Amino acid sequence: MNKFAFPLSAVSLALASTAQAQEVDPAIAELTRPESAVSVGLGYWSKDRPRLGTYDGMSQEGAYGLLDVLINTRDDRTGTWFILDARRLGLDTRALRAEWLRQGNFGVFAEYSRMPRDEPYTVFTGVQGIGTTTQRVPTPSATRLGELYLGTMREAIGGGFSKILGGGYDFRFSVKSEDKTGDRLWGRGGAPEFAAEPIDSNTRQMEAILAYVGKSFQLQGGYHGSWYTNHNSMVDTANINAAGVTSNPFFLSLPLDNQAHQVFVNGGYNLSERTRATFKVAYTHATQDEQIPVGPGVAVFSGAPTHLDGQIDTTLLQAGLTSRATNNFSWLASLRYYDSNEKTPQVRVIQTAATCGTCVDNTPLRFETLAGKLEGTYRMALGLSMTGGVEHAKQERDVPFGNANAAGLDAQRYVPWRAEMDETTYRLELRRSLAETLNGRIAYSYSQRDGSEFTPAAADAPQSNLINPLHIADRDRNKVRLMLDWAVIEPLTLTFNVEYAKDDYGYSDTRPYGLRDGTASVVSVDAAYAISERWHVNAWYTHDNAQATQFGQRNASATAAEAVKEAHLEDTGDTFGVGLRGTLMARLRAGLDILYSKSVNKYPETLTLIGPGALYPVAGGVAAVGPLPDITNTMTRIKLHAAYALQKTSELRFEYAHEIWKTDDWSWMFANGTPFTYGTTTDGTQVSQTPKQTADWLAVRYIYRFQ
Amino acid sequence: MKTVLHLLILATAFMGQAAAQQPRKDMVLNGDAQCTRCHNEGDEYPVLAIAKTKHGTMADARTPTCTSCHGMSDTHVNRPADAKERPKPDRTFGKHSKTPMAERSGACLTCHQGSKRMDWQLSAHATRDVACSSCHKIHSGFDPVRDKSTQSDTCFTCHKEQRVQFNRPVHHPVLEGTMSCASCHNVHGGNPKQLVRDSVVQTCFTCHMEKRGPFVHNHPPVQEDCAICHQPHGTTIPTLLKARPPFLCQECHSHTSHPSQAGALPSGRTTSNQLLGSVARGCMNCHTNIHGSNSTQNSATSGRFRR
Repeated sequence: MNKFAFPLSAVSLALASTAQAQEVDPAIAELTRPESAVSVGLGYWSKDRPRLGTYDGMSQEGAYGLLDVLINTRDDRTGTWFILDARRLGLDTRALRAEWLRQGNFGVFAEYSRMPRDEPYTVFTGVQGIGTTTQRVPTPSATRLGELYLGTMREAIGGGFSKILGGGYDFRFSVKSEDKTGDRLWGRGGAPEFAAEPIDSNTRQMEAILAYVGKSFQLQGGYHGSWYTNHNSMVDTANINAAGVTSNPFFLSLPLDNQAHQVFVNGGYNLSERTRATFKVAYTHATQDEQIPVGPGVAVFSGAPTHLDGQIDTTLLQAGLTSRATNNFSWLASLRYYDSNEKTPQVRVIQTAATCGTCVDNTPLRFETLAGKLEGTYRMALGLSMTGGVEHAKQERDVPFGNANAAGLDAQRYVPWRAEMDETTYRLELRRSLAETLNGRIAYSYSQRDGSEFTPAAADAPQSNLINPLHIADRDRNKVRLMLDWAVIEPLTLTFNVEYAKDDYGYSDTRPYGLRDGTASVVSVDAAYAISERWHVNAWYTHDNAQATQFGQRNASATAAEAVKEAHLEDTGDTFGVGLRGTLMARLRAGLDILYSKSVNKYPETLTLIGPGALYPVAGGVAAVGPLPDITNTMTRIKLHAAYALQKTSELRFEYAHEIWKTDDWSWMFANGTPFTYGTTTDGTQVSQTPKQTADWLAVRYIYRFQ
Repeated sequence: MKTVLHLLILATAFMGQAAAQQPRKDMVLNGDAQCTRCHNEGDEYPVLAIAKTKHGTMADARTPTCTSCHGMSDTHVNRPADAKERPKPDRTFGKHSKTPMAERSGACLTCHQGSKRMDWQLSAHATRDVACSSCHKIHSGFDPVRDKSTQSDTCFTCHKEQRVQFNRPVHHPVLEGTMSCASCHNVHGGNPKQLVRDSVVQTCFTCHMEKRGPFVHNHPPVQEDCAICHQPHGTTIPTLLKARPPFLCQECHSHTSHPSQAGALPSGRTTSNQLLGSVARGCMNCHTNIHGSNSTQNSATSGRFRR
């Protein structure tokens, strides 16, 4: 029953019985006028919640203001809307959008938003200059540890307008500017030492589209421009001792300003009531030609560029045809060509000797993909339909070539490359829809990917050529998906979902390494049950599992022997949720939500020694301890809320939540479980996270709704 | 006083009689009187809330009528004498509707075929019998799938794997409401993975423009497809990686020396690159500018994303 249920016959009578029908009856207005609302309140987190509060702007213990405003008005006579949607104004995730729209004519909007990301790790460091482009890593004698919390903030403003020009034409324009500031975990590069990347950049986007929409023909063309400006271009790092003397200068480059300009045309034409043709053409020109920064005293090869003159041209050509040939048979065909062509001039960047030894050139990349698809669906009796299709994608890529060795091979490339790739996918699906109690589908697809001969890499050969790189390896993929939607009885519906995929990667005696095979499965069940007219419950559970087998060779190093590695990586997840909603009494509604998530990641790796030495290396008295232990993350969140209606238009809402986050993630741990500490040449920067985080949330809100 | 009251009752009765003789008025949309005489707000199919939406803005000449979407539905309006039950309207959109999906979406596309829906018929949603009404609520002042904070609930109805991934500790902030599925996906579009822009990288560069380069030293997967290394919906690994280093890096790189190390944790503080491929940032402890580097320092390490 709709909460606004109202005897319409009475409304209608009231409407008819008043001579001034233009004056909308309040009862009708309640049902037909746009609604506005203001929500104001206060919430409190009992403890810090660095992991679960990473993105919601509430990672710290304390009180938070809760203010949301939705002003949604319409002048019925002119069809003019004014919408002000301000959310989470008391939080760091606040967002605000204001829109004025004369519907069918002209509209304008402005928006503002913030998006925080608080690093969930705590850093204890003496590194100086965090947040700047000059950072100093203390030597052990200058240990000065302090606590540091990293994070980034995106702050965006934007706006735009739209105008319906008449005759089926309309024009839309929008701009957006976003500043990103903060610091993120980084490294000095020259040595495994701590540094924090200073982030202070801006992105801007602008889009203008002119569109025509007719009954049979639609066309739009436009421009999309985007600009990236980094206020930092390089970070100067060095060690510093207790006396303030610096040593080991090391300069780290940062992304430089770039921009891209795209023009596009997209259209569709209904050849008949049953057949439609579409196309899209897009061309993008991206450039990066900033002054390349060089640190003071840094040696640069005489021929190295001062500006890259970087250019990437991207072309998209796409066409499609769809048809409902008969009432029972429909088909589609599509063709897509995508070409990413870097036209940056190739120059020598690094050459440390008169004759090229370990030279490095920049290596512009080009790759293009041509993909075609054909698919048909036949509808049978009982709501059954069968879909079959085939898709073929052909990819060609230039083999990046730095500088040639004596054999004519690329002396700087570390990964074998393929110039051509082909992938063919076949799909078959049987589904039943339009039935009242049981709908579902079962789908199977098989794809086969292979390609041309590998062009070997010369750097680190022959070891570097023993692998089948993940994204260009031969691969057979089988996927099955089953979905059932079952209305068991009137108040109960169940949804079952099963997905399974298996990948088999190609390998040979001469190229034995890389991923060998992998599987992924998802089993899910959802249930929704109407306990009564007043109470509803839904629940879901999902089990997911992904496994991969990976082979590789470890070279003898430190004290470790040469070995063949065989890793069986596995991620398993169990997640369930429950939601209960109900009405306790006329004025009191309540709800309960429970979410539990557990993930287990396993990293077993066996080493078959093929030479003299130890299983794992020991360097400087420090041992590598393997294989890696499992990682288990669990998250439990219980939320309760109750809303008490003070009046028809206002309510008090009470919220309580309890969160538990547990992890034994070793990412920033030594083998014995103590926090990871950077090497002995530094102050001993330490990074850690709290393995168990528990927090409670209590909040109250006053909500007022109006029209 | 009594007389006045009697007069008032008489007048009300007269007005009521007069009202009964007047033709029923439209309440929201042109010509809806025929529908709203039965479709009460307490009815199984409450309809009036459409007036709260742009579909109910009568000042806009493009605003549809009931029959624009549901068809003329003559037998529904005038139930044939021999019909045991009142026939359904020509087009219905509910869960138990028998109207073919293409026809349901066709009703919407009559007006909404342009813009982001130009290629709807080619989309994975359209070809798998998902209709507009499978996700959108039309007769409601609030359409959850068009709201950033509630959109994902609709998507998760079918996309169970993504529901789990977004509940992993590292994820894009969709559940927090600062992003939505539509931030990256044009679910009405016809391109692979139904992305808002023409490719994975172009979509990611919308927010992560610093990765666009081109760099002096490119890392090829960065220009080709971010999803080679990243799982954008969510993972248990920092920075949304699909696998942890060194395993991730060793899916493409077979090397001598330290890059070939096995997964292991150091027993204590060390600067040995033989022991640091798994812990902390793994390989990126040193190869810190993994998306690309702009260093021209005359050192071989410049080309390995270390400067």
